[in-house]
Amino acid sequence: MGDALRVEHPAVIESLPRLLAFVDDACGAHEVGREDAFAIRLATEEVCMNLIRYGYAGRPPGPIEIEFARAADRATVTIRDRAAAFEPNSAPPPDLVSDSERRRVGGLGWHLVKHMVDEIAYRSDPERGNQLTLVKLLKERTA
Amino acid sequence: MDISVNPGGSVTVVTINGSVDGLTADQLLATLDAQVDAGRTHLVADLSGLEYTSSAGLRAVLGTVKRTRSKGGDLRLAAVQPQVFKVLDLAGFTGIMKLYDDVPSAVASFGVQA
Repeated sequence: MGDALRVEHPAVIESLPRLLAFVDDACGAHEVGREDAFAIRLATEEVCMNLIRYGYAGRPPGPIEIEFARAADRATVTIRDRAAAFEPNSAPPPDLVSDSERRRVGGLGWHLVKHMVDEIAYRSDPERGNQLTLVKLLKERTA
Repeated sequence: MDISVNPGGSVTVVTINGSVDGLTADQLLATLDAQVDAGRTHLVADLSGLEYTSSAGLRAVLGTVKRTRSKGGDLRLAAVQPQVFKVLDLAGFTGIMKLYDDVPSAVASFGVQA
């Protein structure tokens, strides 16, 4: 495993550019290919936006911590927070079939996350907070 | 993200460059809403320079599709790049939206149906 990179910002919308810049820069520094970097950015944004919008609902926004690490064939993004526990399997299924008038976008973010990465692990701990781990198996090599 | 609007004739072309994310999607939606509010309901989004969108961008697009269609118009997409196309496809948007290879084709599609 290569050296891990880490950043932490409050879960507010103004933090999003810095959180995304972090994963962009981390992918660049670790020579992750363009298509894989796109997928990692998208999955990370969807998770962060969920935390920003809903995670700390009803109380002051807490932190979002992102850690990035690359091994030979995989990039791992670990997202930690102190928000309410989120059960990934409880996310509503997306509406992919209704016509445009009836179409809803709820659940789309998590649907995209599942398609962008290859492995997802989640744990919630009252003491240490929540940790979501996203693993992308890298298809491209830029080195 | 960078947006420019060319009202042209009966079809308005909105060029969206860069990245649409959770922060910039509001600006996109405001720009698209302003067109519909001004009576411009035949819209083409030139996505040749759009490198990235998340579900926030899809939300803005879907809202505009609904608004324009309810007024007899439409929002059609031109020159969608592969990565953005993949997101649209995963989201099921390619089944409900009209996509064209380039802006002239998308603009002309309104004339064919008018």
